[in-house]
Amino acid sequence: MAQFALVIDLNTCVGCHACATNCKEWNTQAAFGPLSDFDPYGKEPQGVWYNRIMTYEMGEFPNTQVFHLPKSCLHCQDAPCVPVCPTGASYKREQDGIVLVNYDDCIGCKLCSWSCPYGCREFDEADKVMKKCTLCIDRIYDESLPPEHRKPACVLTCPAKARFFGDIEDPNSEVYRVIKERNGFVLFSDAGTNPGNHYLPRTETKVHVDEHLLKHDNPLFLEVLRRHHVGG
Amino acid sequence: MHPPISLIWFFLTAGVSIGLFTFTYFMEFLILFGKNTAMPRQAVIISLVISLILIGLGAIGASFHLGHKMRAWKAIKRFHTSWLSREAVFSGVYGFVLFLYGLAYYFNANPFIQHSLGILTFVLGWLSAFSTAMIYASNKFVLEWNTSLTVLYYLNMYLMLGSSAFLSLTYFYRPEFIPTYLFLTFLFVSLGLAFRIAFNIRQFIIPRPTINEALNLPHNRPIRVLDTGTTTNNYCTEEFYYKKGKDLLGSVLPVAYILTFIVPLFLIVYAWITGNYNYNFFKIAFASLVLGSFLERWCFFVEGNHVQNLFYGLYPEEGYRLRKGYMERKKTVIRL
Repeated sequence: MAQFALVIDLNTCVGCHACATNCKEWNTQAAFGPLSDFDPYGKEPQGVWYNRIMTYEMGEFPNTQVFHLPKSCLHCQDAPCVPVCPTGASYKREQDGIVLVNYDDCIGCKLCSWSCPYGCREFDEADKVMKKCTLCIDRIYDESLPPEHRKPACVLTCPAKARFFGDIEDPNSEVYRVIKERNGFVLFSDAGTNPGNHYLPRTETKVHVDEHLLKHDNPLFLEVLRRHHVGG
Repeated sequence: MHPPISLIWFFLTAGVSIGLFTFTYFMEFLILFGKNTAMPRQAVIISLVISLILIGLGAIGASFHLGHKMRAWKAIKRFHTSWLSREAVFSGVYGFVLFLYGLAYYFNANPFIQHSLGILTFVLGWLSAFSTAMIYASNKFVLEWNTSLTVLYYLNMYLMLGSSAFLSLTYFYRPEFIPTYLFLTFLFVSLGLAFRIAFNIRQFIIPRPTINEALNLPHNRPIRVLDTGTTTNNYCTEEFYYKKGKDLLGSVLPVAYILTFIVPLFLIVYAWITGNYNYNFFKIAFASLVLGSFLERWCFFVEGNHVQNLFYGLYPEEGYRLRKGYMERKKTVIRL
Protein backbone atom coordinates (compact mmCIF):
# COMPACT_ATOMS: atom_id res chain seq x y z
CA MET A 1 0.00 0.00 0.00
CA ALA A 2 1.31 3.44 -0.88
CA GLN A 3 2.32 5.73 1.96
CA PHE A 4 3.05 9.30 1.00
CA ALA A 5 5.23 11.06 3.54
CA LEU A 6 7.94 13.61 4.13
CA VAL A 7 11.57 12.85 4.84
CA ILE A 8 13.49 15.61 6.59
CA ASP A 9 17.25 15.82 6.65
CA LEU A 10 18.28 17.07 10.09
CA ASN A 11 21.79 17.81 8.79
CA THR A 12 20.49 20.30 6.30
CA CYS A 13 17.56 21.87 8.12
CA VAL A 14 18.67 25.26 9.40
CA GLY A 15 15.51 26.01 11.35
CA CYS A 16 14.59 29.01 9.21
CA HIS A 17 10.84 28.38 9.61
CA ALA A 18 10.29 28.88 5.89
CA CYS A 19 8.43 25.54 5.68
CA ALA A 20 6.11 26.53 8.52
CA THR A 21 5.53 29.96 7.09
CA ASN A 22 4.81 28.74 3.59
CA CYS A 23 2.63 25.95 4.99
CA LYS A 24 0.57 28.53 6.83
CA GLU A 25 0.45 30.76 3.79
CA TRP A 26 -0.66 28.01 1.40
CA ASN A 27 -3.10 26.31 3.72
CA THR A 28 -4.72 29.54 4.81
CA GLN A 29 -5.72 30.40 1.29
CA ALA A 30 -6.26 26.97 -0.24
CA ALA A 31 -8.87 24.24 0.04
CA PHE A 32 -8.22 23.42 3.71
CA GLY A 33 -8.01 26.99 5.01
CA PRO A 34 -8.15 29.14 6.89
CA LEU A 35 -5.72 28.53 9.71
CA SER A 36 -7.01 31.03 12.21
CA ASP A 37 -4.86 33.49 14.14
CA PHE A 38 -5.79 34.86 17.54
CA ASP A 39 -4.61 38.10 19.09
CA PRO A 40 -2.04 38.55 16.30
CA TYR A 41 -0.85 41.95 17.51
CA GLY A 42 -1.24 41.27 21.22
CA LYS A 43 1.18 40.06 23.83
CA GLU A 44 0.52 36.41 23.16
CA PRO A 45 -0.28 35.91 19.50
CA GLN A 46 -1.52 32.40 18.82
CA GLY A 47 -2.56 30.54 15.77
CA VAL A 48 -3.17 27.22 14.12
CA TRP A 49 -0.13 25.76 12.41
CA TYR A 50 0.21 22.49 10.56
CA ASN A 51 3.95 22.56 10.98
CA ARG A 52 6.06 23.74 13.91
CA ILE A 53 9.82 23.76 14.24
CA MET A 54 11.39 22.79 17.52
CA THR A 55 15.03 23.47 18.32
CA TYR A 56 17.03 21.20 20.60
CA GLU A 57 20.54 21.14 21.91
CA MET A 58 22.17 17.75 22.29
CA GLY A 59 25.31 16.77 24.15
CA GLU A 60 27.36 18.50 26.81
CA PHE A 61 29.36 21.66 26.51
CA PRO A 62 31.61 22.11 24.61
CA ASN A 63 30.55 19.10 22.53
CA THR A 64 27.04 20.22 21.82
CA GLN A 65 25.00 20.20 18.66
CA VAL A 66 21.91 22.19 17.93
CA PHE A 67 19.37 20.67 15.61
CA HIS A 68 16.01 21.76 14.35
CA LEU A 69 13.07 19.42 14.17
CA PRO A 70 10.21 20.43 11.90
CA LYS A 71 7.17 18.50 13.10
CA SER A 72 3.91 18.19 11.21
CA CYS A 73 1.43 15.30 11.06
CA LEU A 74 3.48 12.17 10.54
CA HIS A 75 0.69 10.36 8.65
CA CYS A 76 1.18 7.25 10.77
CA GLN A 77 0.59 3.91 9.12
CA ASP A 78 -1.24 2.81 12.30
CA ALA A 79 -2.66 6.22 13.05
CA PRO A 80 -4.09 6.19 16.61
CA CYS A 81 -6.16 9.31 15.88
CA VAL A 82 -8.34 7.50 13.33
CA PRO A 83 -10.10 4.76 15.33
CA VAL A 84 -10.89 7.05 18.29
CA CYS A 85 -12.77 9.57 16.16
CA PRO A 86 -16.46 9.02 17.01
CA THR A 87 -17.79 10.40 13.73
CA GLY A 88 -15.32 9.03 11.20
CA ALA A 89 -14.27 12.60 10.37
CA SER A 90 -10.66 11.57 10.87
CA TYR A 91 -9.67 9.01 8.29
CA LYS A 92 -6.70 7.51 6.49
CA ARG A 93 -6.84 7.32 2.73
CA GLU A 94 -6.15 3.83 1.40
CA GLN A 95 -4.69 4.98 -1.92
CA ASP A 96 -1.87 7.10 -0.49
CA GLY A 97 -1.91 6.74 3.32
CA ILE A 98 -2.62 10.43 3.92
CA VAL A 99 -4.54 11.09 7.15
CA LEU A 100 -7.21 13.75 6.75
CA VAL A 101 -10.01 15.37 8.71
CA ASN A 102 -13.39 15.94 7.10
CA TYR A 103 -14.31 19.32 8.58
CA ASP A 104 -18.00 18.77 7.83
CA ASP A 105 -18.12 15.71 10.07
CA CYS A 106 -15.76 16.86 12.84
CA ILE A 107 -17.67 17.63 16.04
CA GLY A 108 -14.61 19.13 17.76
CA CYS A 109 -14.42 16.60 20.61
CA LYS A 110 -10.57 16.82 20.52
CA LEU A 111 -10.19 13.10 21.22
CA CYS A 112 -7.99 12.62 18.15
CA SER A 113 -5.50 15.14 19.52
CA TRP A 114 -5.54 13.30 22.85
CA SER A 115 -4.56 10.09 21.10
CA CYS A 116 -1.74 11.60 19.02
CA PRO A 117 1.60 11.17 20.82
CA TYR A 118 3.24 13.84 18.68
CA GLY A 119 0.92 16.81 19.25
CA CYS A 120 0.41 17.23 15.54
CA ARG A 121 -3.26 18.13 15.56
CA GLU A 122 -4.53 21.55 16.45
CA PHE A 123 -8.01 22.70 17.31
CA ASP A 124 -9.14 25.77 15.42
CA GLU A 125 -11.17 27.84 17.88
CA ALA A 126 -12.62 29.91 15.04
CA ASP A 127 -13.93 27.01 12.97
CA LYS A 128 -14.39 24.70 16.00
CA VAL A 129 -12.86 21.75 14.19
CA MET A 130 -9.62 19.84 14.44
CA LYS A 131 -7.02 20.70 11.81
CA LYS A 132 -3.82 19.02 10.73
CA CYS A 133 -1.30 18.70 7.93
CA THR A 134 -2.87 17.38 4.73
CA LEU A 135 0.46 16.86 2.96
CA CYS A 136 -0.95 19.55 0.65
CA ILE A 137 -3.23 17.01 -0.94
CA ASP A 138 -4.79 19.87 -2.87
CA ARG A 139 -1.41 20.54 -4.52
CA ILE A 140 -0.04 17.07 -5.08
CA TYR A 141 -3.06 15.92 -7.10
CA ASP A 142 -3.67 19.20 -8.91
CA GLU A 143 -3.13 18.39 -12.58
CA SER A 144 -3.26 22.04 -13.52
CA LEU A 145 0.13 22.46 -11.84
CA PRO A 146 3.35 21.47 -13.59
CA PRO A 147 4.54 18.06 -12.29
CA GLU A 148 7.51 19.54 -10.44
CA HIS A 149 5.12 21.74 -8.45
CA ARG A 150 2.90 18.86 -7.33
CA LYS A 151 4.59 18.69 -3.96
CA PRO A 152 3.71 19.98 -0.49
CA ALA A 153 4.31 23.69 -0.02
CA CYS A 154 6.92 23.06 2.68
CA VAL A 155 9.01 20.89 0.34
CA LEU A 156 8.89 23.43 -2.46
CA THR A 157 9.88 26.33 -0.23
CA CYS A 158 12.68 24.76 1.82
CA PRO A 159 15.73 26.89 0.92
CA ALA A 160 18.13 24.24 2.22
CA LYS A 161 16.44 21.42 0.29
CA ALA A 162 16.14 19.52 3.54
CA ARG A 163 12.77 18.02 2.73
CA PHE A 164 11.86 15.15 0.45
CA PHE A 165 8.39 13.99 -0.48
CA GLY A 166 7.16 10.76 -1.99
CA ASP A 167 5.92 7.23 -1.44
CA ILE A 168 8.07 5.66 1.27
CA GLU A 169 6.76 2.19 0.29
CA ASP A 170 7.89 2.51 -3.33
CA PRO A 171 11.45 1.14 -3.73
CA ASN A 172 11.93 3.35 -6.80
CA SER A 173 11.18 6.57 -4.97
CA GLU A 174 13.76 9.05 -3.75
CA VAL A 175 12.35 8.97 -0.20
CA TYR A 176 12.63 5.19 -0.03
CA ARG A 177 16.25 5.42 -1.16
CA VAL A 178 17.32 8.13 1.29
CA ILE A 179 15.63 6.38 4.20
CA LYS A 180 17.49 3.15 3.41
CA GLU A 181 20.83 4.73 2.57
CA ARG A 182 20.97 7.19 5.43
CA ASN A 183 19.23 5.26 8.22
CA GLY A 184 16.07 7.31 8.30
CA PHE A 185 14.34 7.15 11.67
CA VAL A 186 10.92 8.02 13.04
CA LEU A 187 9.87 9.92 16.15
CA PHE A 188 8.74 7.93 19.19
CA SER A 189 9.27 4.56 17.55
CA ASP A 190 8.04 2.83 20.74
CA ALA A 191 4.60 4.42 20.42
CA GLY A 192 3.59 1.74 17.91
CA THR A 193 2.15 4.24 15.46
CA ASN A 194 4.54 3.48 12.61
CA PRO A 195 4.82 7.06 11.34
CA GLY A 196 5.16 7.80 7.65
CA ASN A 197 7.36 10.87 8.01
CA HIS A 198 11.01 10.01 8.55
CA TYR A 199 14.04 12.02 9.63
CA LEU A 200 17.59 11.60 8.44
CA PRO A 201 19.92 11.58 11.45
CA ARG A 202 22.61 14.15 12.00
CA THR A 203 26.15 13.16 11.35
CA GLU A 204 27.84 13.65 14.67
CA THR A 205 30.97 15.75 14.78
CA LYS A 206 33.43 15.82 17.65
CA VAL A 207 34.69 19.23 18.62
CA HIS A 208 38.26 19.33 19.83
CA VAL A 209 39.13 22.51 21.69
CA ASP A 210 42.75 23.51 21.45
CA GLU A 211 44.09 25.91 24.03
CA HIS A 212 45.59 28.18 21.42
CA LEU A 213 42.18 28.61 19.81
CA LEU A 214 40.69 30.03 22.95
CA LYS A 215 40.50 33.72 23.57
CA HIS A 216 41.85 34.63 26.98
CA ASP A 217 39.17 37.23 27.51
CA ASN A 218 36.46 34.61 27.04
CA PRO A 219 34.52 34.53 30.33
CA LEU A 220 34.26 30.76 29.92
CA PHE A 221 38.00 30.35 29.31
CA LEU A 222 38.79 28.68 32.63
CA GLU A 223 35.65 26.56 32.48
CA VAL A 224 36.57 25.27 29.03
CA LEU A 225 40.11 24.52 30.12
CA ARG A 226 38.94 22.73 33.23
CA ARG A 227 36.46 20.57 31.35
CA HIS A 228 38.96 19.90 28.61
CA HIS A 229 41.63 18.68 31.00
CA VAL A 230 39.37 16.90 33.44
CA GLY A 231 37.41 15.38 30.63
CA GLY A 232 34.15 16.56 32.12
CA MET B 1 -4.23 17.71 30.66
CA HIS B 2 -6.65 20.59 30.67
CA PRO B 3 -9.81 19.61 32.61
CA PRO B 4 -12.99 20.14 30.59
CA ILE B 5 -15.67 21.18 33.09
CA SER B 6 -18.45 19.78 30.90
CA LEU B 7 -16.95 16.29 31.11
CA ILE B 8 -16.72 16.55 34.91
CA TRP B 9 -20.37 17.63 34.89
CA PHE B 10 -21.26 14.58 32.80
CA PHE B 11 -19.38 12.35 35.22
CA LEU B 12 -21.36 13.69 38.18
CA THR B 13 -24.78 13.65 36.55
CA ALA B 14 -24.35 10.28 34.83
CA GLY B 15 -22.74 8.90 37.97
CA VAL B 16 -25.63 9.84 40.25
CA SER B 17 -28.18 8.81 37.61
CA ILE B 18 -26.73 5.36 36.87
CA GLY B 19 -25.74 4.75 40.50
CA LEU B 20 -29.15 5.73 41.83
CA PHE B 21 -30.97 3.66 39.23
CA THR B 22 -28.76 0.68 40.02
CA PHE B 23 -29.83 0.58 43.65
CA THR B 24 -33.43 1.51 42.90
CA TYR B 25 -33.76 -1.34 40.45
CA PHE B 26 -31.69 -3.66 42.63
CA MET B 27 -34.39 -3.39 45.31
CA GLU B 28 -37.07 -4.13 42.71
CA PHE B 29 -35.05 -7.02 41.32
CA LEU B 30 -34.75 -8.69 44.72
CA ILE B 31 -38.54 -8.91 44.91
CA LEU B 32 -38.30 -11.56 42.19
CA PHE B 33 -36.52 -13.74 44.74
CA GLY B 34 -39.23 -13.24 47.37
CA LYS B 35 -37.40 -10.57 49.35
CA ASN B 36 -39.33 -7.78 51.02
CA THR B 37 -37.28 -5.00 49.47
CA ALA B 38 -39.96 -3.12 47.51
CA MET B 39 -39.60 0.61 47.91
CA PRO B 40 -42.86 2.59 48.08
CA ARG B 41 -44.13 3.51 44.64
CA GLN B 42 -43.54 7.21 45.27
CA ALA B 43 -39.88 6.62 46.16
CA VAL B 44 -39.24 4.60 42.98
CA ILE B 45 -40.90 7.23 40.80
CA ILE B 46 -38.93 10.05 42.45
CA SER B 47 -35.72 8.10 41.95
CA LEU B 48 -36.48 7.33 38.28
CA VAL B 49 -37.40 10.95 37.56
CA ILE B 50 -34.18 12.18 39.19
CA SER B 51 -32.15 9.64 37.21
CA LEU B 52 -33.84 10.64 33.97
CA ILE B 53 -33.40 14.38 34.54
CA LEU B 54 -29.76 13.93 35.53
CA ILE B 55 -28.79 11.86 32.49
CA GLY B 56 -30.57 14.42 30.30
CA LEU B 57 -28.73 17.30 31.95
CA GLY B 58 -25.51 15.31 31.68
CA ALA B 59 -25.95 14.79 27.93
CA ILE B 60 -26.69 18.48 27.41
CA GLY B 61 -23.75 19.53 29.59
CA ALA B 62 -21.33 17.11 27.92
CA SER B 63 -22.13 18.58 24.52
CA PHE B 64 -20.62 21.88 25.67
CA HIS B 65 -17.10 20.53 25.20
CA LEU B 66 -17.86 19.87 21.54
CA GLY B 67 -16.96 22.40 18.91
CA HIS B 68 -20.14 21.66 16.96
CA LYS B 69 -22.96 20.67 19.31
CA MET B 70 -25.54 20.27 16.56
CA ARG B 71 -23.43 17.57 14.94
CA ALA B 72 -23.22 15.55 18.17
CA TRP B 73 -25.55 12.91 16.69
CA LYS B 74 -22.78 11.98 14.24
CA ALA B 75 -20.87 10.53 17.19
CA ILE B 76 -22.76 7.26 16.71
CA LYS B 77 -21.00 6.52 13.43
CA ARG B 78 -17.84 4.82 14.68
CA PHE B 79 -19.34 2.49 17.25
CA HIS B 80 -17.05 -0.37 16.20
CA THR B 81 -13.80 1.47 17.01
CA SER B 82 -14.39 4.52 19.19
CA TRP B 83 -15.10 4.42 22.92
CA LEU B 84 -16.50 7.92 22.68
CA SER B 85 -18.95 6.72 20.07
CA ARG B 86 -19.92 3.78 22.30
CA GLU B 87 -20.37 6.11 25.25
CA ALA B 88 -22.65 8.36 23.22
CA VAL B 89 -24.74 5.42 22.02
CA PHE B 90 -24.98 3.63 25.36
CA SER B 91 -25.75 6.74 27.41
CA GLY B 92 -28.35 7.89 24.89
CA VAL B 93 -30.05 4.50 24.76
CA TYR B 94 -29.78 4.21 28.55
CA GLY B 95 -31.74 7.45 28.93
CA PHE B 96 -34.37 6.30 26.45
CA VAL B 97 -34.83 2.83 27.97
CA LEU B 98 -34.87 4.36 31.45
CA PHE B 99 -37.78 6.51 30.28
CA LEU B 100 -39.55 3.38 28.97
CA TYR B 101 -38.94 1.58 32.26
CA GLY B 102 -40.36 4.59 34.11
CA LEU B 103 -43.49 4.45 31.95
CA ALA B 104 -43.83 0.69 32.44
CA TYR B 105 -43.48 1.13 36.19
CA TYR B 106 -45.86 4.08 36.34
CA PHE B 107 -48.55 2.29 34.36
CA ASN B 108 -48.00 -1.02 36.18
CA ALA B 109 -47.13 -2.89 33.03
CA ASN B 110 -46.66 -6.63 32.93
CA PRO B 111 -43.86 -7.61 35.42
CA PHE B 112 -42.01 -9.40 32.62
CA ILE B 113 -41.88 -6.19 30.58
CA GLN B 114 -40.97 -4.15 33.64
CA HIS B 115 -38.08 -6.36 34.63
CA SER B 116 -36.86 -6.83 31.05
CA LEU B 117 -36.68 -3.05 30.69
CA GLY B 118 -35.14 -2.70 34.14
CA ILE B 119 -32.37 -5.19 33.42
CA LEU B 120 -31.78 -3.61 30.02
CA THR B 121 -31.52 -0.13 31.57
CA PHE B 122 -29.11 -1.46 34.19
CA VAL B 123 -26.89 -3.11 31.56
CA LEU B 124 -26.94 -0.06 29.27
CA GLY B 125 -26.13 2.29 32.14
CA TRP B 126 -23.08 0.31 33.14
CA LEU B 127 -21.96 -0.15 29.54
CA SER B 128 -22.15 3.62 29.23
CA ALA B 129 -20.07 4.05 32.41
CA PHE B 130 -17.57 1.47 31.20
CA SER B 131 -17.26 3.19 27.82
CA THR B 132 -16.63 6.56 29.46
CA ALA B 133 -13.94 5.06 31.67
CA MET B 134 -12.35 3.35 28.67
CA ILE B 135 -11.99 6.68 26.84
CA TYR B 136 -9.38 7.55 29.47
CA ALA B 137 -8.02 4.09 30.22
CA SER B 138 -7.42 3.24 26.55
CA ASN B 139 -5.34 6.36 25.94
CA LYS B 140 -1.86 4.89 26.06
CA PHE B 141 -0.22 8.28 25.69
CA VAL B 142 -1.42 9.53 29.07
CA LEU B 143 0.32 6.98 31.24
CA GLU B 144 -1.43 8.03 34.45
CA TRP B 145 -4.77 7.06 32.89
CA ASN B 146 -3.67 4.05 30.90
CA THR B 147 -4.51 1.39 33.50
CA SER B 148 -7.38 -0.87 34.48
CA LEU B 149 -7.38 1.01 37.79
CA THR B 150 -8.94 3.94 35.95
CA VAL B 151 -11.91 1.78 34.97
CA LEU B 152 -12.36 0.08 38.33
CA TYR B 153 -12.10 3.37 40.15
CA TYR B 154 -14.45 5.11 37.75
CA LEU B 155 -17.15 2.45 38.09
CA ASN B 156 -16.72 2.41 41.86
CA MET B 157 -17.27 6.18 41.94
CA TYR B 158 -20.67 5.64 40.32
CA LEU B 159 -21.49 3.14 43.06
CA MET B 160 -20.31 5.63 45.71
CA LEU B 161 -22.55 8.35 44.34
CA GLY B 162 -25.49 5.98 43.82
CA SER B 163 -25.39 4.29 47.22
CA SER B 164 -25.07 7.59 49.11
CA ALA B 165 -27.94 9.10 47.11
CA PHE B 166 -30.10 6.04 47.76
CA LEU B 167 -29.32 6.32 51.47
CA SER B 168 -31.46 9.47 51.59
CA LEU B 169 -34.37 7.64 49.96
CA THR B 170 -34.20 4.82 52.48
CA TYR B 171 -34.23 7.40 55.28
CA PHE B 172 -37.63 8.69 54.17
CA TYR B 173 -39.23 5.55 52.75
CA ARG B 174 -37.67 2.39 54.24
CA PRO B 175 -35.66 3.33 57.40
CA GLU B 176 -34.98 -0.33 58.10
CA PHE B 177 -32.61 -0.37 55.12
CA ILE B 178 -30.51 2.50 56.46
CA PRO B 179 -27.86 0.20 58.05
CA THR B 180 -27.58 -1.77 54.80
CA TYR B 181 -27.00 1.34 52.75
CA LEU B 182 -24.71 2.81 55.37
CA PHE B 183 -22.62 -0.32 54.97
CA LEU B 184 -22.74 -0.20 51.16
CA THR B 185 -21.78 3.48 51.10
CA PHE B 186 -18.98 2.78 53.56
CA LEU B 187 -17.81 -0.13 51.40
CA PHE B 188 -17.76 1.81 48.12
CA VAL B 189 -16.22 4.96 49.63
CA SER B 190 -13.51 2.85 51.30
CA LEU B 191 -12.84 1.03 48.03
CA GLY B 192 -12.76 4.40 46.28
CA LEU B 193 -10.18 5.66 48.75
CA ALA B 194 -8.07 2.55 48.18
CA PHE B 195 -8.30 2.91 44.39
CA ARG B 196 -7.43 6.62 44.61
CA ILE B 197 -4.39 5.98 46.77
CA ALA B 198 -3.28 3.20 44.40
CA PHE B 199 -3.81 5.58 41.45
CA ASN B 200 -1.60 8.19 43.10
CA ILE B 201 1.09 5.75 44.16
CA ARG B 202 1.21 4.33 40.65
CA GLN B 203 2.15 7.74 39.30
CA PHE B 204 5.45 7.54 41.11
CA ILE B 205 6.40 4.10 39.84
CA ILE B 206 5.30 4.03 36.20
CA PRO B 207 8.29 3.98 33.87
CA ARG B 208 8.02 7.10 31.74
CA PRO B 209 9.48 7.78 28.34
CA THR B 210 12.14 10.45 28.04
CA ILE B 211 12.72 13.17 25.51
CA ASN B 212 15.44 10.94 24.01
CA GLU B 213 12.84 8.27 23.31
CA ALA B 214 10.46 10.83 21.87
CA LEU B 215 13.17 12.08 19.52
CA ASN B 216 14.52 8.56 18.98
CA LEU B 217 18.01 9.59 19.99
CA PRO B 218 20.56 7.63 22.06
CA HIS B 219 19.89 7.58 25.78
CA ASN B 220 23.35 8.84 26.70
CA ARG B 221 22.88 12.20 24.97
CA PRO B 222 21.55 14.94 27.22
CA ILE B 223 18.98 16.94 25.28
CA ARG B 224 17.62 20.37 26.04
CA VAL B 225 14.75 22.21 24.46
CA LEU B 226 16.01 25.54 23.17
CA ASP B 227 12.98 26.78 21.31
CA THR B 228 9.54 25.45 20.57
CA GLY B 229 8.93 27.54 17.51
CA THR B 230 6.50 29.98 19.07
CA THR B 231 7.10 32.48 21.81
CA THR B 232 3.75 31.83 23.47
CA ASN B 233 1.62 28.87 24.31
CA ASN B 234 -0.27 27.08 21.57
CA TYR B 235 -3.14 24.60 21.42
CA CYS B 236 -0.86 21.69 22.31
CA THR B 237 0.71 23.30 25.36
CA GLU B 238 -2.61 24.62 26.66
CA GLU B 239 -4.57 21.40 26.09
CA PHE B 240 -1.93 18.98 27.30
CA TYR B 241 -0.13 21.03 29.92
CA TYR B 242 -2.37 23.09 32.19
CA LYS B 243 0.15 25.15 34.10
CA LYS B 244 -2.33 26.89 36.39
CA GLY B 245 -3.77 23.50 37.30
CA LYS B 246 -0.33 22.00 37.93
CA ASP B 247 0.41 24.84 40.33
CA LEU B 248 -2.89 24.37 42.15
CA LEU B 249 -2.81 20.58 42.24
CA GLY B 250 -0.89 20.38 45.50
CA SER B 251 -3.64 22.32 47.27
CA VAL B 252 -6.68 20.91 45.47
CA LEU B 253 -5.82 17.21 45.73
CA PRO B 254 -5.82 17.11 49.56
CA VAL B 255 -9.16 18.96 49.61
CA ALA B 256 -10.52 16.46 47.07
CA TYR B 257 -9.36 13.59 49.27
CA ILE B 258 -10.97 15.12 52.36
CA LEU B 259 -14.30 15.93 50.71
CA THR B 260 -14.61 12.75 48.66
CA PHE B 261 -13.50 10.22 51.21
CA ILE B 262 -12.70 11.49 54.68
CA VAL B 263 -15.84 13.58 55.41
CA PRO B 264 -18.35 10.99 54.05
CA LEU B 265 -16.52 8.12 55.75
CA PHE B 266 -16.46 9.96 59.06
CA LEU B 267 -20.17 10.82 58.94
CA ILE B 268 -21.23 7.37 57.80
CA VAL B 269 -19.10 5.50 60.30
CA TYR B 270 -20.32 7.82 63.04
CA ALA B 271 -23.98 7.25 62.13
CA TRP B 272 -23.37 3.53 61.76
CA ILE B 273 -21.62 3.08 65.11
CA THR B 274 -23.84 5.39 67.18
CA GLY B 275 -27.07 4.44 65.42
CA ASN B 276 -27.84 8.14 65.22
CA TYR B 277 -29.48 8.24 61.79
CA ASN B 278 -29.63 11.98 61.45
CA TYR B 279 -30.70 13.01 57.94
CA ASN B 280 -28.27 15.93 58.01
CA PHE B 281 -25.39 13.43 58.16
CA PHE B 282 -26.55 11.75 54.97
CA LYS B 283 -27.21 15.07 53.27
CA ILE B 284 -23.79 16.45 54.13
CA ALA B 285 -22.08 13.16 53.24
CA PHE B 286 -23.70 13.16 49.78
CA ALA B 287 -23.00 16.86 49.18
CA SER B 288 -19.40 16.40 50.27
CA LEU B 289 -19.07 13.37 48.00
CA VAL B 290 -20.41 15.27 44.99
CA LEU B 291 -18.26 18.33 45.59
CA GLY B 292 -15.22 16.20 46.35
CA SER B 293 -15.80 14.10 43.23
CA PHE B 294 -15.87 17.28 41.17
CA LEU B 295 -12.48 18.28 42.56
CA GLU B 296 -11.19 14.73 42.30
CA ARG B 297 -12.08 14.57 38.58
CA TRP B 298 -10.43 17.94 38.09
CA CYS B 299 -7.28 16.54 39.68
CA PHE B 300 -7.55 13.39 37.55
CA PHE B 301 -7.30 15.50 34.41
CA VAL B 302 -4.53 17.75 35.72
CA GLU B 303 -2.52 14.75 36.92
CA GLY B 304 -2.57 13.29 33.41
CA ASN B 305 0.67 14.01 31.54
CA HIS B 306 0.47 13.56 27.80
CA VAL B 307 3.64 12.25 26.18
CA GLN B 308 3.50 14.96 23.52
CA ASN B 309 4.66 17.32 26.29
CA LEU B 310 8.07 15.69 25.93
CA PHE B 311 8.65 17.66 22.74
CA TYR B 312 8.13 20.86 24.74
CA GLY B 313 10.18 19.73 27.72
CA LEU B 314 7.00 19.76 29.84
CA TYR B 315 7.03 16.27 31.24
CA PRO B 316 7.61 15.10 34.83
CA GLU B 317 10.90 13.47 33.92
CA GLU B 318 12.01 16.73 32.39
CA GLY B 319 11.22 18.55 35.61
CA TYR B 320 8.79 20.97 34.00
CA ARG B 321 11.70 23.21 33.17
CA LEU B 322 10.04 25.49 30.71
CA ARG B 323 7.63 28.18 31.75
CA LYS B 324 5.09 30.20 29.90
CA GLY B 325 6.74 32.18 27.16
CA TYR B 326 9.60 29.67 26.85
CA MET B 327 11.99 32.55 26.40
CA GLU B 328 13.09 32.85 29.99
CA ARG B 329 16.82 32.67 30.33
CA LYS B 330 18.04 29.82 32.42
CA LYS B 331 20.46 30.84 35.13
CA THR B 332 23.96 29.89 34.15
CA VAL B 333 26.16 28.92 37.04
CA ILE B 334 29.86 28.84 36.34
CA ARG B 335 31.98 27.06 38.93
CA LEU B 336 35.69 27.66 38.58
